[in-house]
Amino acid sequence: MLALVATGCSSGGDGGGGGDQGGGDATVRLALTQDVDTLLPMDSNVGDNIAVLDVIYDGLVRYDPQTTEPYNYLAEDISTEDNVVWTIAIKEGTTFHNGEPVDAEAFARAWNYAAYGPNAMENNYFFERIEGYDAMQGDYEVSEDGEVTVNEEPSADTLSGLEVVDPTTLEVTLNGPFAGFDTMLGYTGFFPIAQACLDDIDACATQPIGNGPFQVEQWQQGQSLTATKFEGYTGEEAPNFDRIEWTEYSGSSSWPDFQAGILDTGTPPPAEWQQANADPDLSTRKVEVAGAALTYLGFPLYEGEPWTDVEFRKAISMAIDRQAVIDAVLPGQGVPADSWVVPERVPGGVAGTCQWCTFDPDAAKQALEAAGGWPEGETLTIHLGTDETQLEYFQAIGDQITLNLGIPYELDPSPDYFARRAARDFSGPFRANWFPDYPLNENYLGPVYGGGEPDEGNTSFGYYNEEFEQLIAEGDRAADLDAAVAKYAEAEKVLAEDFPTVPISFSQVTVFHSDRVSNVVLDPFSGSVKLRLLEVA
Amino acid sequence: MGRYVARRLLQGLLTLFLVMVLLHLLTTAAIQLNGNPALAFFGDRVPTAAQLQAVSERYGLGDACYNQLGNPCVGPFLDRLAAYATGDFGTDLRGREVTEIVAVAAPNTLRLFAVVGLTWLVVGMTLGSLAARYRGRAADHGIRAGSILVDAFPVFVMLLVYKFVVTVPMSTWARDTFGAESLPALLFRPSFSPDHPWATVLVPGVLLGLAGSAAFIRLVRAAQLENYNAEHVRTARSKGLGERHVTLFHIVRNSSIPVVTAIGFVFAEALAGAVVTEGLMNVYGMGGVLWSAVRDSDVSVVVGIVTLLAVVTVVVMIVVDLLYAALDPRIRFD
Repeated sequence: MLALVATGCSSGGDGGGGGDQGGGDATVRLALTQDVDTLLPMDSNVGDNIAVLDVIYDGLVRYDPQTTEPYNYLAEDISTEDNVVWTIAIKEGTTFHNGEPVDAEAFARAWNYAAYGPNAMENNYFFERIEGYDAMQGDYEVSEDGEVTVNEEPSADTLSGLEVVDPTTLEVTLNGPFAGFDTMLGYTGFFPIAQACLDDIDACATQPIGNGPFQVEQWQQGQSLTATKFEGYTGEEAPNFDRIEWTEYSGSSSWPDFQAGILDTGTPPPAEWQQANADPDLSTRKVEVAGAALTYLGFPLYEGEPWTDVEFRKAISMAIDRQAVIDAVLPGQGVPADSWVVPERVPGGVAGTCQWCTFDPDAAKQALEAAGGWPEGETLTIHLGTDETQLEYFQAIGDQITLNLGIPYELDPSPDYFARRAARDFSGPFRANWFPDYPLNENYLGPVYGGGEPDEGNTSFGYYNEEFEQLIAEGDRAADLDAAVAKYAEAEKVLAEDFPTVPISFSQVTVFHSDRVSNVVLDPFSGSVKLRLLEVA
Repeated sequence: MGRYVARRLLQGLLTLFLVMVLLHLLTTAAIQLNGNPALAFFGDRVPTAAQLQAVSERYGLGDACYNQLGNPCVGPFLDRLAAYATGDFGTDLRGREVTEIVAVAAPNTLRLFAVVGLTWLVVGMTLGSLAARYRGRAADHGIRAGSILVDAFPVFVMLLVYKFVVTVPMSTWARDTFGAESLPALLFRPSFSPDHPWATVLVPGVLLGLAGSAAFIRLVRAAQLENYNAEHVRTARSKGLGERHVTLFHIVRNSSIPVVTAIGFVFAEALAGAVVTEGLMNVYGMGGVLWSAVRDSDVSVVVGIVTLLAVVTVVVMIVVDLLYAALDPRIRFD
């Protein structure tokens, strides 16, 4: 039955092609940034290795490209009575590329490896909701002068909340109720791994043993990565081409290669943006999608006035002409944000939750007056990292503040931005960016603004609101996902009233493609090309 | 001659050791001042102490001295020296061997250097000699003016123009005319291809070489001019030797010493040019690897590669010194 569906798919794809290439060269050529340094699912946390692993591995669920809603893929069924104990039934008969079965054990071993603190996997924190996570972290203490004392080695090397009932059934017990748990399961960090992979984890990081429609043929790290079709693949979603060649690039230098026909997709650098869009031929091969990453401005609420004055934050927010900033620095790569959760792209996200995010210089001036004005002769310091694009972006934002409020500003780019933020070492607004981990509005809220102490606030902003915390907790306990999403949306409204941070823009991805490929669909979540839907003529 | 070589070798070793000490102190101070690079690993997230410690250890920065400003971290330095002595150059942040990275990156950079070096020699020696020979005439003025023009045009701009203006129409035309895998199409490819390492590095290499050759042309010209009027040349001419023989054996050879010296210096400069070229043309080479390692605070890679580069530089300097001796007997018997 599966095979029939697969055949149906590929013949449908072939029917549309013109076939002027000859020699059966169904290869897709794409660019990859050189930052890809591992292909281990548990350790892959950036857009590019996630995009590669999406065709190398299959997960329990996959996400609809239009709505980002999850649907079962390797999972036959995911059920729960109380949002605490989840029973996952896994489809029978699928295998890894080396022949090992993809069973409950394959998931359990991957999750246990990722959750074990000393393995230092990037995706470790995804497992903190599963029972037994804390016992796998151990306990260290770092004293003032940097002396590290190991108080306690991890007392467990498996998650107590993970039980392999039989080869096709995995039972997961969470620390507490979380209605959105099944939404997380399609993320790269939850992919299964083979025993052979675990036996030689270093080799597996560069030569993965996957279970998806493609397998890595060769990875010349820093230069190129090639993947070829896995003949034994029985899943439904397999692309209609045979081979993918990724060329690794440092920086944005791949555009001329796209223009010269060496690559099938490309995004122009800002300097080439106008020309590319004006080109009548190129502009017919343009695909755009709103991404999910939020760039926003945080305030050191732990520093007191004027940052704690909501009128002051409103003034800053309404003084920024977001569209002008985007057009000047990153044309086509952003849309003005007027909410904290990306609208329409994730369940519960709606536009306009932020009532003070529209550009209104007069209202901004009034708000500043209400806040007592800006002290004469003082300079506003905006803290950020050293990324050049971000520097230009926040310079444009600072210019807007100076222009519309008369507040002089200076940028404070520092390479130890994250360390300073963790140490609450900021004396003015700072750049913040959130790329969500799974498509649920909760992910924009709880991890960013929750979990703080009532008197201290959370680490990054110094924000705390009892009602906000309660709504997030109620959402986690909700009977089903829809009810949970509604509670999380209420939490966003609380946030909107408190207005602790100023949303600036959501990412937008624009991709041009060659005439060799068609059905170019961008992932609304990560912005990368959905390789399983792509067709080669 | 033996003592001369031995002295140079010992000096080289001492230089290397000093470079390593300096590197170690600089990177240690950078970590102590800038904070733990392991924090960057977590991006926008705030890690727990346990996670941070696990990642620090993975980065080889677990030793407490990295948190104490002013501590020279002698322990980790000795460990590193011992490891280097056994040929273990450590791994990058993701556990990839530094030696393996170098094994892939170095040949690409060396290819670039070979093209650059050849361009210098051919362009510098030919044009410099011509200018000296026809001094004061149109050819001389033309060559000197040209060299100033090239010198005034930064490598970065030259490569940028080449990449964004020239390559796309040229390679498209060549592909359509001769085929995708033909030599002309590869020569004008907008970026490096590891499958065709020589063809795709040729044009950028020549451009980088041209940019560096300006100083070289003038040096060759000046050195040869000195010799044209030298007494030994007049003697050679008065012996009745032909002009070609006089030029090749009495002028070019004797004017080679400053030129050889310049190769040593220009080598270091070429390395800087290589970073730009590699970055723009997407060559996976030493310059690019070093650049991103510094950006990511990848201490093992930075120290490993800079040490290797120091070794290469010291070797080049020793070779230059030996060439002196070969060219000029007075140095040999000093």
